Amino acid sequence: MESTLAAPDQSQSSESPIVKAVGLERIYGEGQAEVRALDGVDVEFEEGRFTSIMGPSGSGKSTLMHILAGLDKPTAGIVEIEGTDITHLDDGDLTQLRRDKLGFVFQFFNLLPVLTAEENILLPLSIARKKPDQEWVDQVIDRVGLSDRRDHRPSELSGGQQQRVAVARALVTKPAVLFADEPTGNLDSKASEDVLTLLRGAVDEVGQTVIMVTHEPDAAAHGDRLIALRDGKLVHDAPPVSADNVIELLKTLA
Amino acid sequence: MLSLTFKNLWARKWRSLMTAVAVIFGIALVAGTYVLTDTTNQAFDQIFNDSLAGTDVVVTAKSEVDQQDGSTPSFSAKVLKEVKGVDGVKQAAGSIFTQGAILDKDADSVGGGFAPQFIASTGPKIFDAVTYPEGHKPTGPHEATLDQAAADRAGLGIGDTIQLIGSGRAVPFKLVGITQLGGSSFGGTSIAAVQLPVAQALTDKRGQFDQISVAADSGVSPEELRDRIAKVVPKELRVETAQENADRNASEIKDSLQFLTIALLAFAAIALFVGSFVIFNVFSITVAQRTREFGMLRTLGASRRQILRTVLIEGLIIGLVGAILGIVVGFGLAAGLSAVLKAVGAELPANSLQLLPRTIIVSLIIGVGVTVVSSLIPAFRSTRVPPIAALAENLVVGGKNRVVIRTVIAVLLAALGLILIATALISGKDGGSGAAQIGGGAVCVLIAISIFAPKLVTPAARILGAPIEKLGGLTGRLARENAQRNPSRTAVTAAALMIGLALIAFVTIFASGLSSSVNKVIDDQLPGEITLQGTGGILPFPAGAIPVVQNVDGVEAASGVRFVSAKVDGKTAAISSVDPADIVKVYTVEWKEGSDSDLTGLKDGQLVIGDKLADDLGVGVGDSVTLTSQKGRKFKFKVSSIMKTDSISLAGEGIISQNSMARDFNQKSDAVGLVKLDPGADLDKTQTLIEDTLKAKDFPTVDVLNQGELKDQQKSQINGLLAMIYVLLALAVVVSLVGIVVTLILSIYERTRELGMLRAVGMSRRQVRRMVRYEAVITAVIGAVSGLIVGVVFAFLIGIPLSGDGFELSYPIGTLIVILILTALAGVIAAIYPARKAAKLDVLEAVSYE
Ligand SMILES: Nc1ncnc2c1ncn2[C@@H]1O[C@H](COP(=O)(O)OP(=O)(O)OP(=O)(O)O)[C@@H](O)[C@H]1O
Ligand SMILES: [Mg+2]
Repeated sequence: MESTLAAPDQSQSSESPIVKAVGLERIYGEGQAEVRALDGVDVEFEEGRFTSIMGPSGSGKSTLMHILAGLDKPTAGIVEIEGTDITHLDDGDLTQLRRDKLGFVFQFFNLLPVLTAEENILLPLSIARKKPDQEWVDQVIDRVGLSDRRDHRPSELSGGQQQRVAVARALVTKPAVLFADEPTGNLDSKASEDVLTLLRGAVDEVGQTVIMVTHEPDAAAHGDRLIALRDGKLVHDAPPVSADNVIELLKTLA
Repeated sequence: MLSLTFKNLWARKWRSLMTAVAVIFGIALVAGTYVLTDTTNQAFDQIFNDSLAGTDVVVTAKSEVDQQDGSTPSFSAKVLKEVKGVDGVKQAAGSIFTQGAILDKDADSVGGGFAPQFIASTGPKIFDAVTYPEGHKPTGPHEATLDQAAADRAGLGIGDTIQLIGSGRAVPFKLVGITQLGGSSFGGTSIAAVQLPVAQALTDKRGQFDQISVAADSGVSPEELRDRIAKVVPKELRVETAQENADRNASEIKDSLQFLTIALLAFAAIALFVGSFVIFNVFSITVAQRTREFGMLRTLGASRRQILRTVLIEGLIIGLVGAILGIVVGFGLAAGLSAVLKAVGAELPANSLQLLPRTIIVSLIIGVGVTVVSSLIPAFRSTRVPPIAALAENLVVGGKNRVVIRTVIAVLLAALGLILIATALISGKDGGSGAAQIGGGAVCVLIAISIFAPKLVTPAARILGAPIEKLGGLTGRLARENAQRNPSRTAVTAAALMIGLALIAFVTIFASGLSSSVNKVIDDQLPGEITLQGTGGILPFPAGAIPVVQNVDGVEAASGVRFVSAKVDGKTAAISSVDPADIVKVYTVEWKEGSDSDLTGLKDGQLVIGDKLADDLGVGVGDSVTLTSQKGRKFKFKVSSIMKTDSISLAGEGIISQNSMARDFNQKSDAVGLVKLDPGADLDKTQTLIEDTLKAKDFPTVDVLNQGELKDQQKSQINGLLAMIYVLLALAVVVSLVGIVVTLILSIYERTRELGMLRAVGMSRRQVRRMVRYEAVITAVIGAVSGLIVGVVFAFLIGIPLSGDGFELSYPIGTLIVILILTALAGVIAAIYPARKAAKLDVLEAVSYE
């Protein structure tokens, strides 16, 4: 089935990165209570790669991801997605950007309880009033292994299944970048493995770009690249070798 | 997205339905009012059309000045001859249709409450609109017919004796026929018919007609005949085609029913106003609870406008459902309302209930409009949910209130309201327009208070919650904290209740003020011991009764007062006439310029004028004014003196001599009689003696009331009206109680985890129930106390300009306390369902709830 996918060729790595951040700073509060959640981060993400972001609690991972995804504005610095500066877009343009280019997977699956699995998956398309490409939809649902669960409500699905629905929902629009904040944070190891395999598969088979925040060395090991933050600064950037290797890294950071 | 909206609504169907209840009641009253008045109007249309079957042209007298009893002047029977002489007239006949009294042989009225009773004449067959399901037309001077409904009401049948009173004594008749007019019901109105000369004699209209009916020769159109007749009859007569006449009569009735429509719609508006608070609250809470969902939709690319639209469409659908259900309920309510009106003696005629397209359209527009407008603020708030809210781990529900904007709006509104009230008070505008202005100011202040209310909730909950905290320990304390934790939520819930209770307090105080003002008028103006009036104050007072009373042992003086509406220099006013001999013994006039001798020596052509009317007209003692009678005749009167008139002046706005009244205004009947007893005469005995004497002399329709009974009668009329207002305001209160129920349920849903935790650490189901109940009571009491305070303050403010009219307020503290206690109990009832729901939560599920 993979062969039918019209995927961007992974090897044909493009010149310019798909996401690019320069001099990112994010300061919360003022004076005494000032917190530098991000303190000068420069980072680039190339197309078709799976990047994991790690770091101790409070190091600024979520903050970085929010800003990269245009959910929050940096105090200083800029973010470009496919060459467009998104830090100065207004709400309307950001909405359009989300429809066309971004996908999200959350720690709390954030499915609508009133919709069936399939309807949840199709939600971004119906929001954008786009006609679903049925073939692609079927493939995505098949890929996440929910073909026989299409008409189930979230309350009738396990946590792992719910998260797979969420992944399918993020993939269905073929976003330029898929952001995931601790997507396995609420799942057991088997369900986590399923979700991570899915994300990995999307990268390998359709050239999806994935940026994932995680706490779990096992999860990070699925990525092509591991970056780590500490006190709002980028302190590590290299391909992960193995989970053990990641644990070692985390120890040095802590 | 649209189907998502529907699914969301469906998933929250109970919540949505309860939200719809907020409009259902108001819309039901709107639709019910229209159905009721349309039904009544349709019935009157049919009655007037049916009654003119066979008639082509109608001749009646014009009424220059409308009389309070709605009567039109009669005119000389000589006109008939001229009418008959007109070319194209096939047949013409005069008739009588005059208010009177219809009694059974025991002298009990056949009537339905406040509805009038008429004495009619029968005529030639061609004009006979009625059918006789039983019996026949009167064939002799001692025979009469009665309409079917009245006969049924009084249990009368052919062969029974009935007594008729036109003007004067009761005359017995044998019932020989039961009549029916088309298929129409007359409501409570009763009609008895006798032969024409008999009717003329009974009503003291010998040689007079109330109406001439004309049938046209074939080939002559009613319009043509009308024009021909108009040429030969005197100017003060009105000639109309039957259709024109029916339309005019119907539209006059419609106009007089207009006040009922307006009053009922005003109560509908109140219920909807309260409902809009409930809707606002439910939407605010729902939007707050859906913050994460909205954030998620935003991350998936939903635009602000799409979010706004989903919320507004939900409002639209809820409004639509509410309006449709409201129309259905309103249809039933119309039946209920007419039953209520019947019960209080104001039965309206009805055939089949009329549901006009207008009713449906107006109800739908209002229902949807109110819901959508009320959901507007929460809907806009939902658009401010940022996408990042999807990721937030601890959602701060409720969001930022735009404190500055709210405060500015509230202050402006309060200022506007206070300015309105203050200018009305300072400018000394009295009476209606002053009160209306203050009422408008009150609405502004009320909304301002509701906006400020969140600030007041915390201290109010602390004070009012203190006894509950004492009573309930930890559960009491938690209940109070819960009531306080979301001040704007509690505030809006309580404010909805506040409005209803403010109005209840206001009308309660007002009604009690009205009663005591009436008592004061009776005490101040009536030095006599006894007042005579037509039965129930509804049936006409018979002529000739006063002289009978004068001769009763123990009566020092009995004096009748006659009334007519006349134009005084173009201004319509109630003018009375009195018997100069005894009047000062039974009626106390407060003089501005003049003395009692002006009254005892009142000559024909002289007018004692009320100070207010004199000011309005700019006339003083010695000036002359023109009085216009109902027939349009003009008479010059000289102002002899000026009396002070309070809002309720028993002598109207002017007094003329008995002679002038009879000659110029053709009014020979008294409206009331005032009696003073001999010093030393026993009140009870004399009262009984008067009653017996009147009965014996065939005046059975006179109520003989001592001052205490008169006061009670007035009071019970006021209280009857008050009860009706209570029932209508209860709608608004029920809506606000539904608001408490919904708000509690939503809050419990929100606190599922917390409740689970409390249960996990050992709180019993009973304690949970009690906690919820206390919270409801605290909310209800906050609403009730603030409502009562607002009501008292407004009654006080509005009473100020009215005090110039002799109105004085009194505060029925006992009643107000009872209202407060009832409201607290209503809070307990409102909490039943939410409390049970909260207590039923499964601990495990509640704790693991995400
Ligand atoms: N809204 C906020 N207001 C103030 N400070 C904040 C806010 N959000 C985050 N911070 C602070 O910014 C810093 C970075 O937070 P961030 O949520 O990015 O950490 P994280 O790396 O995602 O941590 P975790 O692994 O625990 O999720 C922390 O010190 C946090 O306290
Ligand atoms: Mg985080």
